[in-house]
Amino acid sequence: MSPQAALQSEIFRAYVWIMAGVLALAGVVLAALRWGFKRNVQSVWATYRSWLVMAPLVLGSVFAGRVPVILFFCVLAALGFKEFARATGLYRDWWMTGVVYLGIAAVGVTSLMRQPQGQEPGDGWYGLFIVLPVYAVALIFLIPIARNAVAGQLQRVSLAIVGFVYMGWMFGHLAFLANATNAYGFLLYILFATEINDVAAFTFGKLFGKHPLRGNISPKKTWEGAIGALAVSMALPWALRFSFPQFGITQLILAGAIVGVGGQLGDLSISVIKRDIGIKDMGTGIPGHGGVLDRIDSLIYVAPLFFHMAGYFYGLR
Amino acid sequence: MNNWNYEPAADLDQPTVERLRRFPREPDMFVYGLRSAVALVLRNWLKFYHRLEILGREHLPKQESFIMAANHASHLDTLCLLAALPLRKLHRAFPAAAQDYFFVSVPRLALAAIVVNALPFARRKDIRHSLQLCAQLLANPGNILILFPEGTRSTTGQIGEFKPGIGLLLAGTNLPVVPCHLRGAFEAWPKDKLWPRPRRLRLQIGAPRTYASLPPGKDSSEQIGRDLRRAVCDLARSI
Repeated sequence: MSPQAALQSEIFRAYVWIMAGVLALAGVVLAALRWGFKRNVQSVWATYRSWLVMAPLVLGSVFAGRVPVILFFCVLAALGFKEFARATGLYRDWWMTGVVYLGIAAVGVTSLMRQPQGQEPGDGWYGLFIVLPVYAVALIFLIPIARNAVAGQLQRVSLAIVGFVYMGWMFGHLAFLANATNAYGFLLYILFATEINDVAAFTFGKLFGKHPLRGNISPKKTWEGAIGALAVSMALPWALRFSFPQFGITQLILAGAIVGVGGQLGDLSISVIKRDIGIKDMGTGIPGHGGVLDRIDSLIYVAPLFFHMAGYFYGLR
Repeated sequence: MNNWNYEPAADLDQPTVERLRRFPREPDMFVYGLRSAVALVLRNWLKFYHRLEILGREHLPKQESFIMAANHASHLDTLCLLAALPLRKLHRAFPAAAQDYFFVSVPRLALAAIVVNALPFARRKDIRHSLQLCAQLLANPGNILILFPEGTRSTTGQIGEFKPGIGLLLAGTNLPVVPCHLRGAFEAWPKDKLWPRPRRLRLQIGAPRTYASLPPGKDSSEQIGRDLRRAVCDLARSI
């Protein structure tokens, strides 16, 4: 990945046009609803405006090349964990949060390094990246030992482990995907399809939603929204088939199912965290969306699932 | 199995700017790290550019809370008083800063909240509320309140009258107050100049005093203001 490669990549150029087209279309629809049908679209408008900033930011970092995109995802993971730490109160424990940030840095470093000798060569130290949670758990448990403390330590250890594994490492699979031969196709498909899945769930829920999907966890999500989003996500890989020319029917179905099911599970998982703590949004960083974590929540499930699906059938590098 | 108790940051639902504005703040390790790093740079700046000399550090109480009261001639004053404290006390030191000046525009707000760790002090209305905030802060052992009892920067270099507010915090309590005098700050960075000039600074820290025997009230507050001003002026003359 590099700016030159991005310019030459048909996949990258196609996604630039697709994203610009979708955003323009959404803008026209919103404008028609607002002025044509005099509907109140205030809240959606704020959400849309933030998309206008986020989409170029994501495309820009993918365009900038492998190193910038790995750093970009690591920064996002760190911001997501920061919100999690502030929401749970873990942020008061500097050692715990410090070790998790160190772990997120390790996600970046293992993605950036070259494979050491004796294994399949290529960018990114796959073996270490995959076992990072083992070392993170070990390191996190060293903190109460070094402190000679017990009271409340298990809660901190657990929160730190969830913080690293979920926000740092699972999300961090996106960073490692920058090493894939077909990095543009995989990354842009995951990012685009997952966000479309979110928007579809919201839209179908708004239009037809009646039966709550998981009433205690997220009262606004409905079965109608979930099924509508799944249908859109199952269709999307066929429309975006140019992203992964090597994919057969099985892989296309899997790619759709991973996004359609995984995206919503990721959303619900963050909702479980939020509900248990008793907060509405994870933060206030993105107007109309909530915090960073409220935006990247669906990607957290999709990234590792897609990563291993593609790796199983074709090898990533 | 019992449920866990979470303790989310109190300002979780606030936008970043509001977070900086509110007090007490809920900073995380990045803010602490940034503040410490900037403090190191500023301390070296004061040492080499202004040749800052600090006398009487031994008068600073070690464990308990206390107030530092100093003359006020420039923005350098706060930085010099902070530089007199050990670095590990940095995040426990709260310079009272004018709310109407430091807590309005975003760049100044960021400086006040992140770099200086300032306590927003309302100078005109709500003074009582601000003093209450100070009292709460000082009730926690180990906190340091930095006050400029003149209430504003001197425009002449002379030490102005001390406002009685500080007396309200001190009268009838065992809270120590450390009078400090900073010389050279007016020459280095007067109110009408944009940028500090390389003038020598000298900070003299006096012995702590308490006003436990005075009954709380208006008269004793004014008396404390006068007494502290005399103490600061004495420090000025002692050099």
